Amino acid sequence: MEAVQMRSITKWFGSLCALDHVDFSVREGEIHSLLGENGAGKSTLMNVLYGMLPCDEGEVLIHGKPAQIRHPSQAIELGIGMVHQHFMLTPVMTVTENVIVGGEPVNGPFVDYRSAVRQVQEMIDRYHFGIDANTKVQNLSVGEQQRVEILKALYRGANILILDEPTAVLTPQEVQELFAVLRDLKAAGKSIIIITHKLKETAAIADRVSVLRSGKMIDSGLEASRCSVNDLALMMVGRKVDLTFTRRSQCVGQVAFEVQNLNLAVKGVPVLKNLSLKVRKGQILGIAGIEGNGQTELIEVLTGLRRPDSAVILKDGKPFSGNASDFLTAGVGHIPEDRLSRGLVTPMSIEDNVILGYHRRPRFAGKGIRRSADIRAFADEKLAEFQIKAETVQTPCSALSGGNQQKVIVARVFSEDPDILIAAQPTRGVDVGAQEFIHNRLLDLRDEGKAIVLISADLDEVRRLSDRVAVIYDGRIVAENDHDVWDEMELGLLMTGGKGGVTA
Amino acid sequence: MSVLITYLIPILGSTVYTATPLIFASVGGAYSVRGGVMALGLESMMMCGAFCGVVGSYYTGSVAIGFLSGILGGMLIALLHAILCVNFRVNQVISGVGLNLLATAMTTLLMQVIWGNKGTSEMVASVEGTLGGPIPILNAQSFNFFVMVAVVALGWVLLFKTRYGLRLRMVGENPKAASAVGLKVHALKYSGVLICGALAGYGGAFLSLDQLNMFVRGMTAGRGYIAVAITILGRYNPVNIVLSALLFGFCDAVQIYLQGQGIPAQLIQMLPYAATLIVLAVGVRRIQPPAGVGQHESD
Amino acid sequence: MKKNLAISRAALKNSSLVISAAAMVISMLISALIMAICGYNPFEAYSAILTGAFGSLRGIAQTLAQATPLIFTGLAFAFAKKASLINLGVEGQMYMGALGAALVGITDLGLPAIVHVPLAVLAGFLFGAAYAAIIGGLKVKFGSNEVVAGVMLNSIAGYFINYLLNGVLLAEGSSVAQTERVCQTARLPRIFSSYQVTIAVFLAVVVCIAVRWFISHTVLGYEIRSVGMNKKAAETAGIHISKALIVAMCVSGGIAGLAGANQVLGVDRRLISDFSPGYGFNGISVSALAADNPLGVILAGLIFGILRAGALELNRSTGIPVEFVDVIQAMVVIFVSAPLMIRHMGKLTRIFRKKPAGKEV
Repeated sequence: MEAVQMRSITKWFGSLCALDHVDFSVREGEIHSLLGENGAGKSTLMNVLYGMLPCDEGEVLIHGKPAQIRHPSQAIELGIGMVHQHFMLTPVMTVTENVIVGGEPVNGPFVDYRSAVRQVQEMIDRYHFGIDANTKVQNLSVGEQQRVEILKALYRGANILILDEPTAVLTPQEVQELFAVLRDLKAAGKSIIIITHKLKETAAIADRVSVLRSGKMIDSGLEASRCSVNDLALMMVGRKVDLTFTRRSQCVGQVAFEVQNLNLAVKGVPVLKNLSLKVRKGQILGIAGIEGNGQTELIEVLTGLRRPDSAVILKDGKPFSGNASDFLTAGVGHIPEDRLSRGLVTPMSIEDNVILGYHRRPRFAGKGIRRSADIRAFADEKLAEFQIKAETVQTPCSALSGGNQQKVIVARVFSEDPDILIAAQPTRGVDVGAQEFIHNRLLDLRDEGKAIVLISADLDEVRRLSDRVAVIYDGRIVAENDHDVWDEMELGLLMTGGKGGVTA
Repeated sequence: MSVLITYLIPILGSTVYTATPLIFASVGGAYSVRGGVMALGLESMMMCGAFCGVVGSYYTGSVAIGFLSGILGGMLIALLHAILCVNFRVNQVISGVGLNLLATAMTTLLMQVIWGNKGTSEMVASVEGTLGGPIPILNAQSFNFFVMVAVVALGWVLLFKTRYGLRLRMVGENPKAASAVGLKVHALKYSGVLICGALAGYGGAFLSLDQLNMFVRGMTAGRGYIAVAITILGRYNPVNIVLSALLFGFCDAVQIYLQGQGIPAQLIQMLPYAATLIVLAVGVRRIQPPAGVGQHESD
Repeated sequence: MKKNLAISRAALKNSSLVISAAAMVISMLISALIMAICGYNPFEAYSAILTGAFGSLRGIAQTLAQATPLIFTGLAFAFAKKASLINLGVEGQMYMGALGAALVGITDLGLPAIVHVPLAVLAGFLFGAAYAAIIGGLKVKFGSNEVVAGVMLNSIAGYFINYLLNGVLLAEGSSVAQTERVCQTARLPRIFSSYQVTIAVFLAVVVCIAVRWFISHTVLGYEIRSVGMNKKAAETAGIHISKALIVAMCVSGGIAGLAGANQVLGVDRRLISDFSPGYGFNGISVSALAADNPLGVILAGLIFGILRAGALELNRSTGIPVEFVDVIQAMVVIFVSAPLMIRHMGKLTRIFRKKPAGKEV
């Protein structure tokens, strides 16, 4: 029996066809992986199923019955639950409040919080989720927050569960825990859809696979056990890509950038604790860690955006300090972790963005007046060099795809030939083509003898590019070693504060 | 002892009296902000409430209908604000400012149409008499004191103890999450803004029908903006709002009292406005509004 | 060819010019409706306004006189908006500017007019800027809401000036709260000797052009724009956010001060209590109609100048309240800020859709 059947789903965003007559079906009691790279239309398809987006054409059948799903509340009634990639939780409220809202038990006119807490705690215990129903969500780890999201769906009686990129923010250990939970749920008869672009995980957990590419369903309902990872990669990207391509540094030089005994407290809470790190010329230092262990603050300190409570920062062996402007001037480049909030002024044009931060340089401005013609020529040149897909340099950045937006940032930083580059999540949310391009540029820069600090939540990225790997946990560097010393599981253990880290 | 009776008690009575309309408006503001819509239009809702209150009383001779009209007047502006901010995604600050301009212009225009005078309306039936009784401070209030107490108590219970309150707060904190669990985000936002309009309208009617018995051009005189500051200072919680509103009421009461004491009137009249500025500067720094203010359920 | 047309149509539909024009038309139609309901004939009213504003030299002079403060205050609001600041304190800054100009203007410095006038105008700018700096400072240092702070400072400025005008600055023997007349050497020359329009109207246009150039061609203008659109990205780019916000606020307040200076040095030739019928708030409408574009402010200021000048005439002849112009202005603010709504209305009527495209052909 099919739990979900989607027939000929078509969705337009303006003149862009996000889904082109897509057929998709899921059987009852199976784990189905919906595979595709960023921008392929996976989330769009699932948002249509969940009633978050209306589709322009096509029909949906749930357990064989036609369904008109125009609002999430209708999806919930049909037993569909969704765990979004960006958690839909309210941090200032408790686990219970987050779970029950929309289906609260009441006692007269009042919410019956006592029985609500009891119900939620029972569910937590039944599925071995190991959290306290009375904790505020802001005090939970990312993995625990994800379990709250799953609870929300289960509380509403979901028997079809959609998980959007559920492993993106988890350590390998947490991924194993999640998979155990999913197998339990499957055994309880739930149908589960996992949206992902990770092939290994698909192979590990899915019963069947469907592959989307550029809004088209390439193949649907394949038995996962019969597909090789390479076949799936080819289907997903449409051409042969070597996602394991890399090259290591040939010539590591002097220490270019060093931080000693960095301490930082935010609102009285210590966030960075006696952290030290150094990176050499011609070296990429990868910093692995689960989000929220001080990476954001570390990036801010390393780029002059935040003053540490105490620290010694050495550039080429000499003490160095200042604000963001001083760091940029001194040749510390910065690829911000969130391009929309820190990287770009999206309503402004490409030409205005591609000089942002360097706009006072003599070639862009003199005596406080901008050299408009020079700026335009520069931007035109970068558009071609970095293969940014846009009609003109006057196009606002808000009109670009994620990959092209990221290329604008990379073009900006690389053009200034930084001695040191702080690259945070440099390929988050970009398509495979842009990812390859950016990775190659990073390796080129390293080979020119520059020092790069790479902070990324994507463990594959860190392992692939880094010459040395450091693990950040709870505001400390808990381990550091050459790139090939630890395997994935060992790194994962270190990232959760597990023992065994030796700094060599 | 005699100093207490001659000065302090009248000042405290006046404190409660001047704080009352601010409490109505600010509790309303809390509902709007908790639902994720900024309350910068409070001034217009109070203004419209004050005006409609007088109009209602003028045509029917009934104070009760006057207050009812005041509520409807505030809700009318709130409805516009909700349509603009929720359906058409207008910048909430601009919408509030635009409505404030509109309310000032429309009330002045209509005053001339109805009474042929752009300064003041005719006198209308208004709240007569005070509670009296033996309790100092309270004996100078009207029945609206109890209305205010009820609004605060019910306002707190509704916001923090009921299903509706939990849902409204969820919408204000994270509209996307609220939508994803099936809540009707638009309806909830509308409800928050409309409650805001009703209460601010009542607060406005209090100005024109309880404190006075007529409408005066621009009579809210920035009280709506002061109410915005009180809403923030009260951390969007009806009970805390009472405390911060009393602080402003006290400034106003002292101001009224000092006017008879030989200090230039213009300097004293600045007091409530200066107090608001100081509170804005030092009092509200750490107060975080709900995280979802100004956001929409789909972006 | 057909494709080109489609593109230009799409561009037009989204352009702020169409939104502004549509907002203006809708607001005037609704006002007409309100007038009709109130028992006045809107056709008569609008035609009377046009003849009032253009029918005579007096009308034209009156239009320009009304437009001058509106251009200044509209530009003041638009400038702050570039840094995404809502400067609701324009009214108070204008009063403080008027005070500054008056202080310099009524003092006999023994200077020739060519020095005294600019000095007094400069004083107006500086007083306005300094007063606006309070809002900027509160915003930067304490994160205070600039809208509420602006309104509070308006009231405070009003009371403060009334206090001065009833005390130390009160003209000898005057029963009205006003200063002495400003010196002959400090008076802004009038364009037509018997009408109130002064050469400040040219100054207003020049300032608009200068602001436009500043915003798009200077580094500081670029930084202010960046801060206005994304503070975090600007911070990451090493831009000093506090500086940009305070500069934006001060320039905005300074321009507002110029409106006050014109009133004192040109129109009234003295500082009179409560001289403004709300020029500061009208500036919001001017800026909205101009879509915050400094050059658009000139046109928008003129349009509202026409309405105000005509409405004054109208009031004299028919008794229709001048305030319905305020209603139009308030509605313009609302409609311009709601392009989604206007597009929605466009879809409903369809007539609106064809009109702009037809004009283009």
